Amino acid sequence: MYIYDKFDHTITRERVAEFSQQVARRLTGELSEDQFRPLRLMNGLYLQLHAYMLRVAIPYGTLSSKQVRKLADIAKKYDRDYGHFTTRQNIQYNWIKLEQVPEILAELASVEMHANQTSGNCIRNVTADQFAGVAGDELEDPRIISEIIRQWSTFHPEFSFLPRKFKFAVTGAAKDRAAIQFHDIGIQVVKNDAGETGYAVYVGGGMGRTPVVAPLIKPFVARTELLSYLEACLRVYNLHGRRDNMYKARIKILVRDLGPAEYARQVEEMWPLTRAAGVDIEPAEEARIRAFFAPPPYEKIAEPVASFVDARAKTRAFAQWVQTNVHTHKVAGYGAVTISLKPIGGIPGDASSAQMHAIADLADTYSLGEVRVTHVQNLVLPNVKQADLFAVWQRLGEIGFAEANIGLVTDIIACPGLDYCSLANARSIPVAQQLSERFADLDRQHIIGPLQIKISGCINACGHHHAGHIGILGVDKAGQEFYQITLGGAGDETASIGTLLGPGFAGEDIVGAVDKVVNTYLELRQAPSETFIEAYRRVGATPFKESLYGRR
Amino acid sequence: MAQAKSQNKILTGNRLRNGETVYYTAAGVWSPYVAEAKVATTPEEADALAKIGAAAYAANLVIDVNVIDVTPGGAANPAHIREVIRATGPTVRADLNKPVTPPQR
Repeated sequence: MYIYDKFDHTITRERVAEFSQQVARRLTGELSEDQFRPLRLMNGLYLQLHAYMLRVAIPYGTLSSKQVRKLADIAKKYDRDYGHFTTRQNIQYNWIKLEQVPEILAELASVEMHANQTSGNCIRNVTADQFAGVAGDELEDPRIISEIIRQWSTFHPEFSFLPRKFKFAVTGAAKDRAAIQFHDIGIQVVKNDAGETGYAVYVGGGMGRTPVVAPLIKPFVARTELLSYLEACLRVYNLHGRRDNMYKARIKILVRDLGPAEYARQVEEMWPLTRAAGVDIEPAEEARIRAFFAPPPYEKIAEPVASFVDARAKTRAFAQWVQTNVHTHKVAGYGAVTISLKPIGGIPGDASSAQMHAIADLADTYSLGEVRVTHVQNLVLPNVKQADLFAVWQRLGEIGFAEANIGLVTDIIACPGLDYCSLANARSIPVAQQLSERFADLDRQHIIGPLQIKISGCINACGHHHAGHIGILGVDKAGQEFYQITLGGAGDETASIGTLLGPGFAGEDIVGAVDKVVNTYLELRQAPSETFIEAYRRVGATPFKESLYGRR
Repeated sequence: MAQAKSQNKILTGNRLRNGETVYYTAAGVWSPYVAEAKVATTPEEADALAKIGAAAYAANLVIDVNVIDVTPGGAANPAHIREVIRATGPTVRADLNKPVTPPQR
């Protein structure tokens, strides 16, 4: 993991001191709310329905066990004993008191954490593949370039007042587990024909009211030139992105209006200027950062691991959990465990302080002290020996997080929705809970196979509904909650935007409607191996429309 | 929950110091309990509430100040589901909900 140097420590401490003074001036009335609001947003502090909400950055979703314990302690001491892991790989606290925020930020700084740039029109927290460094299919650990981007973008003076917020995601593998094409800039580690490692750059993707799959703007940028290229991408946007209309201010609108080719041309024209400015990283500095992500000291373990094979054979529930929740590790004898924060009927992404402490203990005992956050609102223990998987599974069962449902129909993304969020039009979490209960039967979940349901409580799409195989969007219809269904979205390397099926459903009808969609899929699939998204792409929306609305 | 037709309105905001959802009462203080809110039954009374809200905002007592609709059922019955949830808490965490009236003292 990256460890702060004196510069990181200094700027983090200085920011805490600065914001603490701003909070004090707000509390005395020296600053008005209009003056204070942009300042608090720069520090991740929102006002939601019930209280302030603090969004804490988890760069590229990587946490040490010490940081997880601190997050747990903050939840207990300053919040209501829980936190909410988000689709941006961050954590949000829902019941924060303004007067305590300086203390919280100081506590975060003590473990090299902060809430900077988790809001506002700046470059937000960089997200990455949760299996970074342990996935067998990656070309390079995406956290290396993610950390370099983090440092470059932190308090970047030119990009602190962009037309709108700006989000990066990075994958080190061709298999996209970070939804890079739904980000303002998505980066994929690639090799060119000469066998050199560099980056493919996608620009102008996003969700919200105008969902766009990002076009590939540059197939290959050399490793040592990426920052100047990104700076050119941002500068073109900063100069020409619309500031007159917040709904048209994201880079996706600029790229769409210019056309990808013209946008790419303008970036190329700008690039020599940013390159000449010397923004690119020096090889020695790149090597220094790279070293933080060197593989940990793995043991040499021969497969098969007898105790693991034996436990799978003897305990069916464990075998099912291994099938869905344990990802192949690049090192023999290890596995990467996804901890499902989706217990049946639970709140997606929520974890209590006790659960967080238990996970930190598991990380120390079994996973070399490391935890990851996924954009699907789950956690990962990236380095578990296969011989330890049974013990990890048992302990997760004790804290209610051993659901064997990763990638299945109950592994649902849900934004906080109208239960917490001041922007929401409808509740998301209760819909997720009811769907989870409806599809609770694990054998049926396995029969249904891979299926991603994603729920947003408003058009801002924090719940990624556009990228759901089944997407659900909550809307307000004359004061009542209604839910629209989209089908065929995908957030992986085959990225696509879901198609709206038809009129929305009342809250009491949405679960039945989704059940009908699933049953229609089961009836029309050609074989159990044909997944929901494959079947949808083969047959289109019509059979699903007919099952929901009848023939027209 | 459908919005009921009613002219009845109450004044709400969030306390600056801690973000708590609060309501302006007939006693001239801000209460966490929606049933204690002063109900305006005429447009003139609603305007008066709005002025009180603006003054409280200017005095840095509350933020996100709004005059909201309540049903004929009274202050404890905000018309829109958003305000019902603001008044009592997330519907998915009954353990964290607050009552509409103060606990017996």
